[in-house]
Amino acid sequence: MESNGDREFCANGTCMKTAEVEAKLDQGNIQDAETALRDGLSLTSEEARALLGKLEYQRGNVEGALRVFDGIDLKAAIQRLQPSLSEKPAKKGPSHAESPSSVTQHAASMVLEAIYLKAKTLQKLGKFNEAVNECKQVVDAVEKVFSQGIPETQGDNRLQEIVSCAVELLPELWKQAGCYPEAIKAYRHALLSQWNLDNNCCARIQKAFAAFLLYSGVEASPPSFSGQVEGTYVPKNNIEEAILLLMIILSKCSLGKVKWDPSVMEHLTFALSICGETSILAKQFQELMPGVYHRIDRWNSLALCLSGAGQNKNALSLLRKSLHKHERPDDLVALLLAAKVCSEDPHLGAEGAGYAQRAVDKAQGVNEHLKGVALRMLGLCLGKQAKVASSDFERSMLQSKALQSLEEAVRLEQNNFDLIFELAIQYAEHRNLAVALRYAKQFFDKTGGSKLKGWRLLSLVLSALKRFSEAEVVTDAALDETSKWEQGPLFRLKAKLKIAELRPMDAIEIYRYLLALVQAQKKSSGPQSLSSQFGMV
Amino acid sequence: MSDDENTTTSTVTFTPNTSEKIQSALQSLTTIVNPTLSVTSSTTPLSILNECQIYAQIAALLRSPNSGAGDNNLCRWLYDTFQSNVADLQLTILRFLPIIAGVYLSRVAERKPQAGFEAVLLALYAHETTTRAGEPVTVTIPDMSHPSVYHESKTTVNKNNATDRNIAVLSPLLEPHGTVRSTRRARIVGVAFELFYSKISQMSIAPKIDFCKFCKIWAGQNGDMYKYFEDEDDEEDEEESNEVKIEKDKESEEIKRGRVPMPWELLQPVMRILGHCLLGPNNKNTKLFEAASEACRCLFARAMHDVNPNAILPMRSLLRLSKNIDEFDATEPPKTDVISL
Repeated sequence: MESNGDREFCANGTCMKTAEVEAKLDQGNIQDAETALRDGLSLTSEEARALLGKLEYQRGNVEGALRVFDGIDLKAAIQRLQPSLSEKPAKKGPSHAESPSSVTQHAASMVLEAIYLKAKTLQKLGKFNEAVNECKQVVDAVEKVFSQGIPETQGDNRLQEIVSCAVELLPELWKQAGCYPEAIKAYRHALLSQWNLDNNCCARIQKAFAAFLLYSGVEASPPSFSGQVEGTYVPKNNIEEAILLLMIILSKCSLGKVKWDPSVMEHLTFALSICGETSILAKQFQELMPGVYHRIDRWNSLALCLSGAGQNKNALSLLRKSLHKHERPDDLVALLLAAKVCSEDPHLGAEGAGYAQRAVDKAQGVNEHLKGVALRMLGLCLGKQAKVASSDFERSMLQSKALQSLEEAVRLEQNNFDLIFELAIQYAEHRNLAVALRYAKQFFDKTGGSKLKGWRLLSLVLSALKRFSEAEVVTDAALDETSKWEQGPLFRLKAKLKIAELRPMDAIEIYRYLLALVQAQKKSSGPQSLSSQFGMV
Repeated sequence: MSDDENTTTSTVTFTPNTSEKIQSALQSLTTIVNPTLSVTSSTTPLSILNECQIYAQIAALLRSPNSGAGDNNLCRWLYDTFQSNVADLQLTILRFLPIIAGVYLSRVAERKPQAGFEAVLLALYAHETTTRAGEPVTVTIPDMSHPSVYHESKTTVNKNNATDRNIAVLSPLLEPHGTVRSTRRARIVGVAFELFYSKISQMSIAPKIDFCKFCKIWAGQNGDMYKYFEDEDDEEDEEESNEVKIEKDKESEEIKRGRVPMPWELLQPVMRILGHCLLGPNNKNTKLFEAASEACRCLFARAMHDVNPNAILPMRSLLRLSKNIDEFDATEPPKTDVISL
């Protein structure tokens, strides 16, 4: 045990060095240590033990501390306090140090602190259930006695500190003891009753609770509250409650009431992304105070949110800012995202190719693994750029460059399904149907037929090769593997095949069926909308 | 296998029917695996079914070739036991979902017949569909301008504005499925994972570790380059011996082969389970945390390779959160040299 010659006890206006007492404790002599302290500072047995326990805790001697605390009858001490504590001071005004109310509060904080430290020692010893019992005593006692909250006193606010700590500790102890429903109750109790917690303490508890709600996998029954104002938002499940708490902390940060904690934003990002609500997440980023994140990081995060929410134009505007040569032009994520956004619009193809090329150049060292991804983006952008080329020569040059990039990409990313699909499309557009078929088959095999677009592509390429019966076989198989609402495009395909095979009566039958399907879908509340039916899946 | 089996703390009402079913499940299992029964005073048929050893044996069988075939005995047993409608037995079966789904998905590209696995997956899917009556699961995102139970709002609540709400769909509605159509495969497996997540606090550590290992495989990306993600002291590439490098390359190739398509309907429940493994109350099990961290890095790498913002954002957050686990304990009394009352 470390003995620090500088420690001292202070009580009743006098101080005493701890060295002598520490020596006695090291010999296992609690009784002698207690006596020495009582004599030295004129203390009661209880007060002396409380000080000894604190000393042992400070020294890191957890088992010793527990032995000392076990020797105090803390329950009885609480009992004695209760009648006197419930007396309210007769008049307001500055209270003297010797006035009855502050003396009894002083005694109360001593006892409660001792119990609190006992709970902490039990926690450190891994005895979580016992720790819970001790901590609960503190919380229950304060609640019974100070039902209106702890009165403000001049002088040190020890009691409030202890109560705040106990209220913060209790749910954590329940958690460590594996009693999750009780932990949830304790968190709510801490946040919804009047404990006079300071803002930072409250925010910490809110964050701990939000994290518990998000990751514990224990679904809390919704909180029930009486006397709600109409229009009050009451969360109905874990995610709602967690998001609410995290948003509250963020707004307190914005008002300067609590210290900024980046993990709060990370939890909220996770929660909102899981719900698919990145547009709301974008708003949260926008409402943060400037300086919390570097502006370029904020732009890039915002761009990710907006792109995820389908607002690609806005995302691109932000990325253009952050990729400017005076900002952070070499950020790989930003470059790849910008290239991806551009790759969906022929008029942005050239711009996207620029970003992609920069990404290819920067994909080195620890980022080397992204080179294939960058080459893919380059190929896509060049392919799109080719569509608005002003001359045939330019078009064919861009198309072959595009193919070259994609081929280089697939050498690095052999199992990137989207890339294989895109190669098939490019070759098909290039009228190189044999290679297109090879890639279409590869895509189909590697995705196990789970992508509708894979089936359609295979069928289309086969029909372009005039292998109509095989195309029909594929289409029929696809119909077996898809659910009703996705079958529209497949029926269209089948009908066209019939026409190509010069069997118009069969085609008419299929169109009739397709019409019925469309009517049925209009009437029902099917999950797919009409437009998504005919888009690529 | 670690010994951290969580004993279920829920009270089980043993109706005569339930005990019979558990007993018969155990008996039929003994024709498939070989439990060495160490009988103590607290041994019940249920506790035997949940033993580490049994888990390991069943897991090994599930990984053997042709384990998912339609006539496979083990699949039959898993299916029948789950259909018994005894909650405890269903939990026992649910523990094997990560391995079943993992082996199943990785064999899809090989075109192996897997009717046995599919039957089990469909049973889980059907159970969840029944529990939810097919309804979607929605989340109402709070609007801070409206007061809540946890905060007051300065703006006056306009009662006419009550429907200005953001309703997000956490899980879309469920159509019944009698077979696994290939375009519905991801959704069916995803829903099975949603069921797994709803019971995850009752799962032991072993299935969670298996889950994390499969995440690595499904991602099909090595995540090692993100070990020092956003660390301030940039660790330069460690000097690796040639043998280590060759091993890593081999592993990389294996990992890439196991890559599966991960549409949102599969990815989202996977991320929620991973969040639990990484940040949930798992008694700081280091094996689980390491497996989960690795899985996290791999899935983040996958999100980057797909340039998928909806996956990049949550995975990046998990990665950042996993690096800041040991936080300052505000309930610890400050160190002081003055001991006073």
